[in-house]
Parts: sequence; C-alpha cells; structure tokens
Amino acid sequence: MTAATTTPEAAVGVLPRADGSAKYSHAGYTVTASVNGPIEAQRRDEHAYEAHVDVTVRPAAGVGATRERHLESILQSSLSQIILVKNFPRSVIQIVLQIEDSPENDYVNTKLVQASLNFAIMPALIQTAVLALLSAAVPMRATATATAVATVRQGGATKTIVDPSPREVETAQSVHVFAFTSHDELLLAESEGDFTVKEWDDSYETAKAICCRPEPTKEGIAMVLDDETTAGPDMRHFLRLAMETKVASDLYWK
Amino acid sequence: METERLIVLPGETIDPSLIPSHQKLPLRLGPGLRHIPPSDIVPTVAGQLITNPARNSMWIEYNSQRYIPSTSDLILATVTRATPDAYLCTLSPYTPPATLPTLSFEGATKKTRPILTPGALVYARVTLANRHMDPELECVSAATGKAEGLGPLAGPGCVFDVSLGFARRLLMARSREEGGVGVLEMLGGEEGAAGGGGLAFETAVGRNGRVWVGSESARTVVVVGRALQETDRAGLGIEGQRKLVKRLVREVR
Amino acid sequence: MPREAEPSLSERQFVLQALQENLRLDGRELDQYRPLELSFGDQYGVADVTFGRTRVLAKASAEVTVPYADRPLDGIFNIATELSPMASPAFEVNRPTETEILLSRLLEKTVRRSGALDTESLCLVAGQKCWSVRVDVHVLSHDGNLIDAACLAVVAALRHFRKPDTSIEGGVLTVYTAAEREAVPLSWLHSPFCVTWSFFGDEGETAVLDATRLEEQVRVASCTVSLNKHGEICQIAKLGGVPVDAVALLQCTAVALTKVKEFSELVDKKLAEDVKKRDKGGFMAELSAENER
Repeated sequence: MTAATTTPEAAVGVLPRADGSAKYSHAGYTVTASVNGPIEAQRRDEHAYEAHVDVTVRPAAGVGATRERHLESILQSSLSQIILVKNFPRSVIQIVLQIEDSPENDYVNTKLVQASLNFAIMPALIQTAVLALLSAAVPMRATATATAVATVRQGGATKTIVDPSPREVETAQSVHVFAFTSHDELLLAESEGDFTVKEWDDSYETAKAICCRPEPTKEGIAMVLDDETTAGPDMRHFLRLAMETKVASDLYWK
Repeated sequence: METERLIVLPGETIDPSLIPSHQKLPLRLGPGLRHIPPSDIVPTVAGQLITNPARNSMWIEYNSQRYIPSTSDLILATVTRATPDAYLCTLSPYTPPATLPTLSFEGATKKTRPILTPGALVYARVTLANRHMDPELECVSAATGKAEGLGPLAGPGCVFDVSLGFARRLLMARSREEGGVGVLEMLGGEEGAAGGGGLAFETAVGRNGRVWVGSESARTVVVVGRALQETDRAGLGIEGQRKLVKRLVREVR
Repeated sequence: MPREAEPSLSERQFVLQALQENLRLDGRELDQYRPLELSFGDQYGVADVTFGRTRVLAKASAEVTVPYADRPLDGIFNIATELSPMASPAFEVNRPTETEILLSRLLEKTVRRSGALDTESLCLVAGQKCWSVRVDVHVLSHDGNLIDAACLAVVAALRHFRKPDTSIEGGVLTVYTAAEREAVPLSWLHSPFCVTWSFFGDEGETAVLDATRLEEQVRVASCTVSLNKHGEICQIAKLGGVPVDAVALLQCTAVALTKVKEFSELVDKKLAEDVKKRDKGGFMAELSAENER
C-alpha cells in the first residue's frame, strides 16, 4: 500500500446541517467530523465556569468499545486545551468523529465487528476535529497539527517511519502520536510499544519537523528550504491552505 | 478583488503595523479577536482581518451557523413557553432559552399585555447577552417607548434559515453595495424595469440566521425564501442573483 | 439532551397552507425527490447517499463466525442503525429514539426479511462456520426521509461489497486474504427499496414524497412502502396517524413502483461506473481471469 506517500486532503463544511464540519483523508484514513455548539448542556455535563467538550468517535463498522472511549478521552482533554472553553460556561461543544475508511492490511483478515481502532488513526482524528472546529468558528486559542511516527529496528539500525501503514504498525517496535499547537507547544504525546529515550527523542524531532514547519516568509527562502526539508507533508501549511480556501469562498462577496 | 485578503487563523500573531492607532478614540475590538494583556491582540477564529482606521476598530470577518447572542442584535425568536412575567424564547436550536419580559412590548402594562402562544414568532432586540446568564430580549425601544418595527410577527408567512454571515449582509444599510445581496430588491422591484420581479412581500431579518418572509400569496413567500436560501448556499454574486430571480419569477407565472 | 427544536406556528401553518396549493418550500412537485446522489468509497461495501441535505453512509463488512444453533445452515446478516449526535444534537449515543427504532425495524423488514441476501450462501461448514455480514448505517446529516435514504444506502453498499474468497479442501476451511485471492460479491437475490409517503391535511388528502425534516414535523401520517423493481411488495408500514383512504394508498403504491425503478437504475448505473473505474484498461480483469484457470 502506498497510502503513506499521499498528501493530505480536506474539505470543510461538508455537512449542511451541522454548525461546522470537515472531511479529511490522509494515509488511507478518511474521517468526517461534525461540530455543534455551543449548545445547551445536559445537567450531568454542565460546568459552571467552562464549556464541556464532548467527543464521540464512531468506527466505520461495528460498535464503539473501550478503545474508542479511550481515544475520546485523549481527544477531549487535548481539544479542551485549545478551545477557549471559558467563553461558554454551562454549555457543551459537541464533536462527532465518524471514521469512513481506514487502510486495510492486505495480508490479514481483520475482525471488523469487534472494532479495534488502529492507534495510528489518532492524527487523522485530531486533524479532522481541528478543521471542523475552525469551520464552526468555535473560538480557539490556537490551531493544532498532528502526526504519527513508527520506529522500526532493522538489523541494529533504527528507522523512523512517518504515517505508518497498518502493516508497518504491526512490524514496528513502537508507534508514537504527537500533536503540536500553532505556538509550537507539545499538545499530545502518546506512545505504544517498546522504545528507548533516544528513539522517543528522534520520533519527537521527526514529528515536530512535520507539524511545526515555519511558514516560509519570502519566495526566495522557500526555495532554499525545499531542498533541506525531510520527507513528509507540511501539516501546518496544509491546514492554513484548507482554511484559506474556506474563508475565501465564505467571503466571496467581500 | 482589489486588495490581497489577510486571512488569519486562531492564535496567529497580527503584524503590529496593521493595528490601527488613533489619536483620541480608544481601539475597538470586534468579533473574533481577543486581547491578552498587556498588549497582544490575537484572533480566535479563522477569517479575514478587517481594520477601520477612521473608527479605530478591527475585527475578523467570517461566516458561521451557530448564533451567539450579542447586545443590541435584532433577532427572530420563537416563543416556547410563558411564565407569569416573561415569555421564554429560542434563538437557535438546542440553546438555552432567552427571556422576553411581558412588559417589554409597546404600551404593555400589568393589565394589558400581548398574549403569545407557544410557537409564536417575535422580532426582538437582545438587551442582555452575558456568558454567565441567559439572554434577555425586548420588543420596545427603551428610549422612545415605541415598538419601532419590533413585536410579534403575525399574518401569513414563513421563516427561512440562512447562514449568519448572509443575515448580517441582509441587515447592512446598503446591502447591495456593501454586502453584495440584491435579491430582495430585485424580487420586489418594478416589473419590466431592470429584472424586477414585481412581487409584494415584507421581510424581517434576524441576526440569528432566520429570515421571516410575509405575503398574502404563498407562492411569493416560497419564491422569496428560495431566492434567499439559494443565494446563500450557492454563494451567488449580483449577476448570479439576477439570473436566479429571473428564473424563479418565470416559474411563478 | 437538548430537545429537538419545534417549528414555529407560522412555519407549521405556512407549510400546510402552501401544500394545499400544491406548493413546497423548496419548489419541488409533491411527488418529486430531492436531487439524489450515490457514490462508492475506495473500499468495497461503502455507499454514500445524498437526498438534498440528508446524507447517509452505509458500510458493509463480513467476518467468519459460528452460526446460530437453531439455524445451522444459515449465515448471519445484521443491519445496525445507531443515530449519532452528528445527525442531530437531540440524538444521544446509547439511548435510541423512536426515529432510530422505526428506522432499524423498517430496514430489517425491507432488506433482511424480504430475503434480499441469500443467507444460505453465507454458510461455510454446516453448524460450525458461517459468514456474518453486517451493515452499519451512519446518518451524517438529517434533513428528513432517513428511511428511503438509508435503505438505498444499505442496498447499494451490500451490492458493492466483496467478501474474502474461501475454499474447503479435505475439511479444512481457508479464508483467503485480499493479497492472495480477489474478493467475491455476495449472493444477491433482489433489490428492495423504501418509498415513504407523508400525508397532510385533516383527512390526509395531500400525499407528498421525500419529506424534509420540517415537513416531517408537521405531517399527520406517513406510510412506507417497500418493493423491488418487479413490483413485488415486501412490506407496507402505516404506523399511527390519521387514517388514509385505501384507494389513495393504491395510487401511492403505483407511484412508488416508478420511483423504485428509478432507484434501481441509479444503483445499477453507479455500480457499472464503479467497476469501470476500478478496472482501468481492463488489465486487472485479464489478470484475474487467468488466475481463475
């Protein structure tokens, strides 16, 4: 599967009845997200000083279970950090992430009814949620970008793979998911598997290079940068492009 | 497009040279911006940065679907329930109710006050919008004691949902020049003259993305409503709107 | 959970008054569907159906499991319809609403009970191994007429679906992965579709097809007819509401048949387009034909 080499794609505002929505595909994953809010919170979710961020992750096939709940709680705490939750006390911001497609491992027949989500789907979930939040114009402190990195040990040498395919995840020693805010702060770091501190540091640097590539200020400099940059997509630039298109089409009359 | 759009995303730094500085007027921040003391101004939504040096103000222009109440906005509310001294109204689906005191109508006293049944529509102004409290509305100008066009919307007509940005454009004083919407003018314009539809109708535009269209003829209401929604959803320019109006008016006859 | 927003009085009255003049808010004819779109995903068994502002995604999947003890010769076939807050904030996860229950029952009756999928063909080893086919219905956007849209999506997804190929040699069951052998389609017998009529007026004298959410909120009765393109009726559901004249119902069924023929054609056409798209230049077809020999 050559999914890892594809560039990310996004469409913003795809669902006509939601306050905000986005569809995002990258590395074989396709996720659609809707955002509604701020809306009235149920008594049990109500918080006197801030908005409750409610995240629901729904697998493409089968019912969600513990694994989805775990992803939801990670996403919920990360997204609450970037949304200005204090602006909307006693309300809820509802984010629903529907997985449409995830890359299949051609060499294994997956058990689909017991949906077990791949850890590597996290970056796609975060990216879709951020795009949908931007499309709903929910006030935020910053935007965020995310990526997954796998480390594979091959004959003594360690190799880092960006956006690993399911096959690569299976053979990898460890998988790491990182998210960074647009202020270059680390928002989320989740790891799975065996790894050394050195490997983690390497993964961190690789992820940071993808998520936090500085905006090229002048055309000339951009040219030089292109030669130096490592492999992998420039997530921040991608996010900006997607939103620029959306804003431009919204304000066509201006 | 005459000038380059300056599009910002939440948390990006705004070039200090773009922030207007006026000798006397204080700097006014509009929607989509927040001030982090001492001197940082940061966008909170994705949109286009607009500055007005003459009035020393700046804001982010963007479009959205979810209405967040703001004082002195004109809105279209639906009454859901009556309490002894106030009506509870909804401004947008799934949000907490806004209160409309029964005395906030023209000429209302404790004895004589308008009777509104659940489901009734009112055109009102937001008087209180505060993050910790439910919004409050009024149907009378506090200064003059007159309704000034506010109050219950009776008579045959229907409500159409549009995006908040489109509602704002409809409410602009010169909506055709500034906001680029001319559908209503075109539909109501003299027949024969520059693509006029010659239809008789009235409208009430709420900042909460709801437009009431009233007319004796149901056909007219449908045509006006469709023209508004299609202009909004397809993002039609003035020329596109002219074609749309022509097509819709032809369908009526 | 926040309650569903009720339409205002003037909306209610206007919709009814306009319908008496044969007018609908979006300018459609009474028996006209909204613009209909159907597309398939990159994977087999994913169908995305749009009816105006209503959008439903169905995904079919299969796994090998043990058949039910009382039906050793049948495979397992399930349709899961869980409405998420994505469709409307009034839907809550794990708390089924009436809409959800009605939707799942109607799909069950239309697709499963009508024998559209040959469940006997899903049996691999009698009493021991069979396929369990499952369709997940995801409502992405809810602007009325979920039933017709969901049914179309389920049928399209199942017809598009391919399950892994299997073989039994000397009592040993082998399930081939996609890399080893091309997946095979399901054994499909007929394609039923739902057509839902909404009735308005004191005696339900105005019948309307493909109601929007606002129209659904003010209707006095509804009736769902499920049938295939040969005119074989799988079920008729008229649950509550005002009584409707029997002759009018016959009329409705006749119109439903013409709509079902259109749906049927649409699915056939889109499936054919998809096959063409997946098989660029006919190279893969040649290759797999050789493999089969």
